[in-house]
Amino acid sequence: MSESALLEVRDLDVHFPVRGPGLLRPMLTLRAVDQVSFDVQPGEVLGVVGESGCGKSTLSRALLRLIPTTAGSVRLHGVELTTLDRAAMRPLRRSMQMVFQDPLASLDPRMTVGEIIAEPLKALLPRMGRAEREQRVLRTMQQVGLLPAQINRYPHEFSGGQAQRIGIARALVVEPELVVCDEPVSALDVSIKSQVINLLLDLRAELGLTYIFVAHDLATVRHIADRVMVLYLGRVMEITDRDALYARPLHPYTRLLLSAVPIPDPTIARRRRAAPSRDELPSPLALPSGCAFRTRCPLADARCVAERPILREIDGRYVACHHAEAAAA
Amino acid sequence: MAADALLEVRNLSVRFATGDGPVYAVNDLDLEVRRGEVLGMVGESGSGKSQTWLAVMGLLAKNGRAEGSVCLGGKEILNLPQRALTRLRGDRMAMIFQDPMTAMNPFLTVGRQMTEVLEWHRHLSRREARARCVAALESVHISDAARRLSMYPHEFSGGMRQRVMIATALLTEPELLICDEPTTALDVTVQAQILALLDELRQRFGTAIVLVTHDLGVIAQLADRVTVMYAGRQVEQAEVHSLYGAYRHPYTEGLLRSVPRLDEPRSARLATIPGRPPDLASRPAGCPFEPRCAYVTEICRQQMPPLVSVGDAHLRACHYDGALGRLEPDA
Ligand SMILES: Nc1ncnc2c1ncn2[C@@H]1O[C@H](COP(=O)(O)OP(=O)(O)OP(=O)(O)O)[C@@H](O)[C@H]1O
Ligand SMILES: Nc1ncnc2c1ncn2[C@@H]1O[C@H](COP(=O)(O)OP(=O)(O)O)[C@@H](O)[C@H]1O
Ligand code: SF4
Ligand code: SF4
Ligand SMILES: [Mg+2]
Ligand SMILES: [Mg+2]
Repeated sequence: MSESALLEVRDLDVHFPVRGPGLLRPMLTLRAVDQVSFDVQPGEVLGVVGESGCGKSTLSRALLRLIPTTAGSVRLHGVELTTLDRAAMRPLRRSMQMVFQDPLASLDPRMTVGEIIAEPLKALLPRMGRAEREQRVLRTMQQVGLLPAQINRYPHEFSGGQAQRIGIARALVVEPELVVCDEPVSALDVSIKSQVINLLLDLRAELGLTYIFVAHDLATVRHIADRVMVLYLGRVMEITDRDALYARPLHPYTRLLLSAVPIPDPTIARRRRAAPSRDELPSPLALPSGCAFRTRCPLADARCVAERPILREIDGRYVACHHAEAAAA
Repeated sequence: MAADALLEVRNLSVRFATGDGPVYAVNDLDLEVRRGEVLGMVGESGSGKSQTWLAVMGLLAKNGRAEGSVCLGGKEILNLPQRALTRLRGDRMAMIFQDPMTAMNPFLTVGRQMTEVLEWHRHLSRREARARCVAALESVHISDAARRLSMYPHEFSGGMRQRVMIATALLTEPELLICDEPTTALDVTVQAQILALLDELRQRFGTAIVLVTHDLGVIAQLADRVTVMYAGRQVEQAEVHSLYGAYRHPYTEGLLRSVPRLDEPRSARLATIPGRPPDLASRPAGCPFEPRCAYVTEICRQQMPPLVSVGDAHLRACHYDGALGRLEPDA
């Protein structure tokens, strides 16, 4: 654990009680986040990838305490967050903000843009005067590329890309250190997506922000992240610096994900058209024994069935796989 | 007209009547789908992709009207009476959608929904129909097919539901399978499986496939020819290798250059297309891409560029004749 980390997460669990299938519908535990540990350094962008249902959004929400955690520790500048009550948490909320995937759905349709962006200021800095608040809202709007004249408009009058700028402004207005972006560009059109990605990168440089950037799309993550964490069924499979991960993925799941990314070049795309894995994600309610990925892994053996691999350091990366050396060699 | 054209679309326009006046969703579209080929159609949301194919299928919303001509195997099928269309849809062409769940009845077992298609179109007995369904599910690699027939749609994963939709569409052995964003809601891993499946079906059954998507990566993998849509118009059409390797339209350049790509070195900034797609309620006199284009000249504002050949079965709609390559990452 490094002393300088902005955020330290250790053995974090988020479990949901759910009803199982069958006649009796027994109560089962869904381990949406399972023993997750990682650090975020100030100023870095940590990318988080994994298939749908791997726990990316649950983890994001748990870090900000938008949902309760089951066990483990989340520390911001060394302060343990999981045991704080609401009142004690409030000053820390200023430091951590979130941008959501569906821009329009995450904005209250009855509030004007100005009211939406001012809301976190009112909640988290209640003593701020009106004039100063207005100043802040206008300055933030300008930072994200919205026009002052748009302050009294309503969300439905905006396109998806503009709505996402409002979402970003709402997160930035309290001047957070850490912004958790949960698929901020997934819902946007191709030509708008690149505008918003560039904006996020500019804001980071300008304001010295730290991002946790969640995405499905590994090409986008390569563009924006410094380090990447790969999740599978709530567990960390690999955490590696960007260039090393994309050049030489060590975990078999990382390799599967990368091999499936479509390449917009017909010559390469057709050469790569190898047999894709036929299996899909197992039910999160019936996790395989041992390694969660073993039902889809080409390297799985008896040890993978019997023993859950721990996240260990190999060549300066962190990989949870019994046979990671096979790929490293 | 190409001799091997299965579907010919000529001068197709789709217009919707709304409270705020007409929406011109598809304008003067000309294209063909050849037997056994995969035609890719790419464009951003709202560019008229879905409405084009819904019009072909006779499935437009009530406030929509299609004009022009659509011929299947030489016979006009646009705006046929409902009964004839229903028969045609099952028999000769089928369409699958982005979200298989909305196309399925949640209260009927998968087997019931599949056999209904067959009993209706082919007058098979229940038993025969069931056997056909099992075979169809097996052909899309669903294991344990007989047992799955008695399951409900929600008991399937998203990828499996899309397989079921493909299997259902294939039951009547259509000549044309229209896939509207078939993998957009799926993970890349599952997307790769579905694309491989479509490729396999095309080879096995010679089915012509229309693959509609906003993702140029998906098209690159499967399509033989590609058409690019912008604001309800075709702006470029070409064989897949020349479209990606020698695109001739500024919008195609924008699409290809603004996405982060794993096959290229990482760049500090992405090129962007400024602004956003136009509202289809207005019909500009000039080129619809003009407000966003880096190559604009005076004529672009005044005249709509027609779709014309620039050689080698390559068509494009643009007044600019010089070299592309002006699109740089914005500073
Ligand atoms: N409130 C809840 N109750 C029960 N299960 C839940 C709840 N929220 C999430 N889950 C489950 O937790 C797991 C992780 O979900 P999560 O939304 O975090 O995944 P994700 O990686 O963000 O997926 P996506 O890529 O689809 O956004 C899934 O199995 C999901 O069904
Ligand atoms: N029933 C309708 N009434 C009015 N406008 C519609 C209707 N259906 C679609 N449109 C409009 O037609 C245009 C093209 O839509 P569509 O073909 O669905 O786009 P996409 O390329 O995303 O598939 C859009 O502007 C859309 O809003
Ligand atoms: S531990 Fe075994 S099953 Fe898991 S990823 Fe490594 S080799 Fe595959
Ligand atoms: S016609 Fe003019 S505005 Fe339209 S794409 Fe060509 S150069 Fe650009
Ligand atoms: Mg999510
Ligand atoms: Mg569509």
